[in-house]
Amino acid sequence: MSEDVSEHEPSRTKVPMPIATLSDPHLGDAAKNPARTESLIALILLVGIVMIAGFGAAYWQNWNPWIIGGTMGAGLFLLGFGLTAWGKYLMPQGPFVEERHVLASSPEERDSMAAALVERSAVVVKRRKLLGGLFALGSGIFGIVAIFPLLRSLGPVPGTSLDRTQWRKGSVLVDSNGRTVNAGTLVVGGIMTVFPKGLQNTPEGQAIDQTVLVRVQSTDLVTAKGRETWAPKGYVAYSKVCTHLGCPVGLYEQQLELLVCPCHQSMFNVRNGAIPQFGPAPRPLPQLPLHFDDEGNLAAQAGFDQAVGPGFFERTTTKENGT
Amino acid sequence: MRSQFLLPGGLLAIAALGALALIFPGAAAQASSTSKTLSASVKACGSVNLKGVTTTYNSGNPFASTNLKCSDGMVIHYGNNSITYVNPPASYAATGKLLFDQTCSSCHGSEANGVAPNGQATIGPNLQGVGAATIDFWITTGRMPATDVAAIEAERKTPRLNDKQALQVAAYINSLDPSVPAVPLPNLRGADLADGASLFALNCAACHTITGAGDALAFGTNAPSLENRQVTPQQVAEAIRIGPANMPRFSGNLSDTQVRDLVAYVTEKIQHPSNPGGAGLGGVGPVAEGFVALLLGVGGLALICFWIGERS
Repeated sequence: MSEDVSEHEPSRTKVPMPIATLSDPHLGDAAKNPARTESLIALILLVGIVMIAGFGAAYWQNWNPWIIGGTMGAGLFLLGFGLTAWGKYLMPQGPFVEERHVLASSPEERDSMAAALVERSAVVVKRRKLLGGLFALGSGIFGIVAIFPLLRSLGPVPGTSLDRTQWRKGSVLVDSNGRTVNAGTLVVGGIMTVFPKGLQNTPEGQAIDQTVLVRVQSTDLVTAKGRETWAPKGYVAYSKVCTHLGCPVGLYEQQLELLVCPCHQSMFNVRNGAIPQFGPAPRPLPQLPLHFDDEGNLAAQAGFDQAVGPGFFERTTTKENGT
Repeated sequence: MRSQFLLPGGLLAIAALGALALIFPGAAAQASSTSKTLSASVKACGSVNLKGVTTTYNSGNPFASTNLKCSDGMVIHYGNNSITYVNPPASYAATGKLLFDQTCSSCHGSEANGVAPNGQATIGPNLQGVGAATIDFWITTGRMPATDVAAIEAERKTPRLNDKQALQVAAYINSLDPSVPAVPLPNLRGADLADGASLFALNCAACHTITGAGDALAFGTNAPSLENRQVTPQQVAEAIRIGPANMPRFSGNLSDTQVRDLVAYVTEKIQHPSNPGGAGLGGVGPVAEGFVALLLGVGGLALICFWIGERS
């Protein structure tokens, strides 16, 4: 083999394959005395095999998940450990140096190559204007076509959909099971999450319509000027979607009378219209005006007077009753 | 525990029950008929302070119960198959007064009304009219008597009074102004754990976290851990119904059956998590889990890479 190579490539240096000896500087201490190392690695691999077998048995017998995972993990780890130790301690270690032959072609070869190129390009290899033009045309059309999905991915214009929830004038408050709320449902200090009746189990209803109902006192509560009738018998309702990043403001501290957002600890005072008392929330939670309907159930006087949840570019704070 | 309450209690108010059965055929009552029922029953059972008790959806209201038992104008027990609400016997009140004078009166006033002898308000609030469940909860959880009256919250600790003494104090305070809710005894047999889990996620997990590990809240307050196995089913039911400290009160929006399911979920699953992965890491969420993954996982891999690449 080496004879053939040297025959055709006289420039390659002939290097005889050295016979490995124990005095080879590339062999580590462990490799010079391999019996002990090999038995140690063999032991590691054996334990790994036992673990793999144990993994099979554990899976077959449906044992605890942590036994299944533990045996599989330990088995794979020990097999890999044995393999790595084998290569590390029993194999010769570098660095190995191999002299390389001259890479450049001879001047004669280079000249003949250049001459061949010049000769051929006159006939066979020439510029193909038609193909180049067609490719450019295809690329250009693709560029124009690609603009349309790009623009479309910006989505339909939201319009006023972000400003409105499903709460309307007369929407009856129900819990997630569809049960209505009357004057006796909550005692002072109670809290529940309510939805507009009929929408309590739809995705839209649960996402942006979720509203937290708190009973602050037993008599009518005025949270702000212009909201005199909004909280009958101390029942006050606020949007459950935080005005910061939209987390559900579900934590109510009844002595402090604070609604707390679990994500960034914004705190809203339920007595004064959920004005943020602490935390990053930029606006109060929108308040839902309530009243008791003819059947004695709590219902909305109107929808929210502003967009619920976090801010967005086109958000306005002008009154937009969702009626 | 139960046998202590079920002492021979006197005559059953048969007339009241008959009236209830007539006026109160179903669980869901309209407001008008409920008020009629209330006035009729209050007469039969003596005057009971109904502050903090709703009139709907079998929510700890004695007079919505077909199982009401009165004696000498006192409510002895009421409830249903899910929870029986029991008042400690009136005979406990005398001992309870002694215990109250020794351990409670310096902060709550000698009449438990939050008024000091000089007419000023005491450090502790008025306890009259809160119901036996409230007193029992605060004493059996060791939160009362408080060691530091200036602390923001009275933490759970080893109770100073035992369970019977707690009931004796509750009997005394309740005798000053008979009130409800009485001490709830949940019957966990047949509880729906799946229902309890979804109710827990909806009503409790916001503050106590989904694993029940508890978490900090506003201004130095915190929602306590429910994983603590010393928390008894009775205490969980009491906390739901009375809303201790900053915890909201769950009244008409949770039925007794739902409270029973919640209590079963807390005491059977939250307190005994299965942790299929092996170690729960305290169930405190992605920060602890990410820390362990980084330190042990990535750190271990880095060490292994170092070993593989190292020249021997």
